Amino acid sequence: MIKIETNAGIDGHGPALGSGSLARVAKFLWRLFWLIIAFGAAFFLSGIALNRGEHINSIWLVLAAACTYALGYRFYAKFIAARVMALNDERATPAERLRDGHDFEPTNKWILFGHHFAAIAGPGPLVGPVLAAQFGYLPGTLWIVIGAVLGGAVQDFVILFASMRRDGKSLGEMAREEIGKVGGFAALFTVLLIMVILLAVVGLVVVNALKGSPWGTFTIAATMPVALLMGLYLHYWRPGKVLECSGLGFVLVMASIFAGRSVAASAWLSPWFTWSAMALAVAIIAYGFLASALPVWLLLAPRGYLSTFIKLGVVLMLGVGVLVVHPDLQLPALTRFVDGTGPLFAGKVFPFCFITIACGAISGFHALISSGTTPKMIAKESNALPIGYGSMLLESFVAIMAMIAACVMQPGVYFAVNSPAGVVGATPAAAVAKIASWGFPVTVTEMSTLAHSVGEQTLFYRTGGAPSLALGMAHIFAQTGGGQALIAFWYHFAIMFEALFILTIIDAGTRVGRFMLQDLLRHFSEPLGRVNWMPGVILTSAAIVAAWGYFLIQGVRDPLGGINSLWPMFGIANQLLAAIALCVGTTILLKMHGAKYMWITCTPLAWLVIVTFTAGWQKIFSPVPAIGFLAQADQLQASLAAPTVATRTLIFNARLDAALCAFLLLMVATILLDSFRVWYGVLSGTQEARVVEAPFVLSQLRAEKL
Amino acid sequence: MSLVRSFWRFVLALLREIGDENAYQRHLAAHGRVHSGAEWRRFSEEWMRAKYARAKCC
Repeated sequence: MIKIETNAGIDGHGPALGSGSLARVAKFLWRLFWLIIAFGAAFFLSGIALNRGEHINSIWLVLAAACTYALGYRFYAKFIAARVMALNDERATPAERLRDGHDFEPTNKWILFGHHFAAIAGPGPLVGPVLAAQFGYLPGTLWIVIGAVLGGAVQDFVILFASMRRDGKSLGEMAREEIGKVGGFAALFTVLLIMVILLAVVGLVVVNALKGSPWGTFTIAATMPVALLMGLYLHYWRPGKVLECSGLGFVLVMASIFAGRSVAASAWLSPWFTWSAMALAVAIIAYGFLASALPVWLLLAPRGYLSTFIKLGVVLMLGVGVLVVHPDLQLPALTRFVDGTGPLFAGKVFPFCFITIACGAISGFHALISSGTTPKMIAKESNALPIGYGSMLLESFVAIMAMIAACVMQPGVYFAVNSPAGVVGATPAAAVAKIASWGFPVTVTEMSTLAHSVGEQTLFYRTGGAPSLALGMAHIFAQTGGGQALIAFWYHFAIMFEALFILTIIDAGTRVGRFMLQDLLRHFSEPLGRVNWMPGVILTSAAIVAAWGYFLIQGVRDPLGGINSLWPMFGIANQLLAAIALCVGTTILLKMHGAKYMWITCTPLAWLVIVTFTAGWQKIFSPVPAIGFLAQADQLQASLAAPTVATRTLIFNARLDAALCAFLLLMVATILLDSFRVWYGVLSGTQEARVVEAPFVLSQLRAEKL
Repeated sequence: MSLVRSFWRFVLALLREIGDENAYQRHLAAHGRVHSGAEWRRFSEEWMRAKYARAKCC
């Protein structure tokens, strides 16, 4: 085993500057540096935690996060790497042993870091913090920072390590091998269910961002022919020139944002692109079906490239923008809605803050990426530390940026944009009166001026988080460059970025869901399992689209805006997947070291189990109709003597949501019990603690080759 | 200046990796083939099928 490169810290090694007094001074300075970082983390975290009644500058959040990440990486992650995993650069990785020029390929550490980050960074860390800001900036910020350091990054790192030592096996395969067949099957089935809920909820975010917005709808509609053009360009005219093609696509998308202003201003064109929520939902469902059934090269791949490049660029811009502008946060540290009466979604700060922010703190979906492409491309075992742990810290930092972008708005504006009509009233006058009664003054004129400044008719009832995030981002970008004259452009740029990004998740997710379904169906009918048999492709694509489309329509029809029921379900599902990943991680650590290091994965696992089961229980059985699905159904049933078809559908939907939530909890309880059985067996000595790693092969790879 | 150049090289390499251009070059090298439209289409069909069978993160 070789030692992980350390300069100082837990094991007391200083920088390699030689012996004698110089080395002692260097060692002292190095320790002093980390002492200052530790002091900084404590100072900035307590500063944001204890501040009351004054506006705090966003730099406090940035510095608190940066210092905590640095400490977590330097001490905790390196401790896990050196003592628990015993990462060994002399051990050949799957990328070296199984090198095939395709999946398995040793890749430069920082290139793989970027690749992995691009894969794990979805819309979750952007939307979740914006929604959780209804509790104030403090609960979400603390959860993002502490959750990532002790939970999310640990999960990603441990699963990446485990997969890397097992020839790049997937989470499902590892669950089957390490825990048992029941755990493996439950993991696969849970992933499919999560996909369905995820696609519905992100679809709803896009619907709410684009409804009644001709500028936004035109821009997003224009990305379809742009993607098709890119697909043809890449396939026939300039094969292999992905960067060139993406550059062309980017220019065309920018042009469509500029053209969108004229479309919105045109009396003739504007009605063509002013769509209702239902029309947008149907269009997104049709798009999901087409994207799943059409050849990948024509639509999915070019959109995927464009979306990834824009995503990385925007994240970078947002980071730079926050540092340059460092705006004051307008939302308070804590709002009155910690008591569970929030307008965006109902439920107390515990447990709902911790499921609303999943990606950004801990996300089960990351375990799929950490056991997917990345472990097959790691050149040296020690690279797993920056890639697995470090990239999650960067994602967490993105979530902090989103939290800042949400909190720079006036609280009244934030709640006016994000609250559904069912909570604040169906007219702007009623909405501002209700929001003002909560202690967050805002006027109809103020909202109208803001809407016109960003080229929209209205900004009321834009639930889902995307429009308020776009407002916050536009505010930051406009101050960085262009001033207020460009705020409408920046708003629609941000909307385009969010929608493009989310539609990429929808198209790729539908296709992945189709493959999963075909994989299940091939046990019953061989042709249905064939990925190139067109009737099977159409049937399974339609089934997956129908599944998430049903929940999307349900969200559109929901009088409370849909986000209230769908986002918590998505959060619960995603955190339950994280619980499965942590069960796998704990089992592996237990087999490697006995009970000694179990706490590393058991601590976040215990927290997630408490949070998700409490949230799940409340979503099913809470007597408050805004929280509990069954209470909501009962209230609807009792409110009408003769329920209409629409009401009966709402009642059915509430009961369906309760059943789905219960099913997810049951699945994870099954995996937990199966894991406990294995852990008890190993600890009591009745079961062999066999570690099923690939055998040691001496690495021949030299760093300079990469 | 060399720092800027090496940073730019890194950014380009990262973009090429994300854009699958590096994967295509590796494919050509591994199979001893040269670039052509048909070769790119063969590569991209196989590569994309695998790529879009994996879950994308939320």
